[in-house]
Amino acid sequence: MTKADKLLIILIMICSIGSLIPLLRHNPLPSQVVVYVKNQEVLRQDLSQNGTYHVEGTLGTVTVEIKDRKVQVTQENSPYHICSKQGAISDASTPIVCLPNETIVKIESDDVGEDTVIQ
Amino acid sequence: MTTRKAVELAFLMAAGIVLQIMESFLPVVFIVPGFKIGFANIIALYTLYNYDTRSMWIVGIGRIFMASLLQGLLFSVSFWLSLAGGLLSLSIMSLLHRTGKFSIYGVSVAGAACHSIGQVAAVTFIYQQFFMQLYLPVLLALSIVSGLCIGILAGQLIRRLRRVTL
Repeated sequence: MTKADKLLIILIMICSIGSLIPLLRHNPLPSQVVVYVKNQEVLRQDLSQNGTYHVEGTLGTVTVEIKDRKVQVTQENSPYHICSKQGAISDASTPIVCLPNETIVKIESDDVGEDTVIQ
Repeated sequence: MTTRKAVELAFLMAAGIVLQIMESFLPVVFIVPGFKIGFANIIALYTLYNYDTRSMWIVGIGRIFMASLLQGLLFSVSFWLSLAGGLLSLSIMSLLHRTGKFSIYGVSVAGAACHSIGQVAAVTFIYQQFFMQLYLPVLLALSIVSGLCIGILAGQLIRRLRRVTL
């Protein structure tokens, strides 16, 4: 077990820990609200800007409100008003889906890329 | 390349194939995906130290092809992973051996680490996903351990088999 061996092992350990840090910090902060009607993008706004926006869904106007980095559907025409009752979303894990209006409100990150596909 | 040497290398290649296939039956793969203890590296190290670098390349590349062929996995994903890892690992092992400053433990650890790196690089390339490299830190740390163990085994093998003539 020569000195060069020990240096090599220490080097590999440093690489192992060192490669962990940039990989874990790579999460892009989701920061854009995107509204799709019939799978087409109709509205793209920044999450940090407060505001109320109106989108034409299938059954009428859907009002989307952005406040305090949260998105909420405040008013829409539908039999059960499920998406209004859903409340606000603040991260990219759950979308607000309004099926009667065929409207989806999602939070996405800045770089418009596809979701990863794992085979 | 004499006939005798060709036959010896063929035996070594067969031993490598058996070790690789046997290793695929071990359930270690379910704990960390893609982790191999790398028994077939014992054969590569033994060939490197008993013959020369060229013999190790012959035995190594032959072992990768033949093991995949015999398992019915030729040109499948696992074959390309094995080939990528094997190419990188054999290159580094022959490089480090040529400098002469590394003992068998260092060569083995470097071979194991580069095998993991090659496999992760191949998976990242095949699936076009950068985050496959999240496996890399764990694999590298484990490869140090497995490299040392394989190095010890290969060292014992070389020491004992040198007294045996075919």
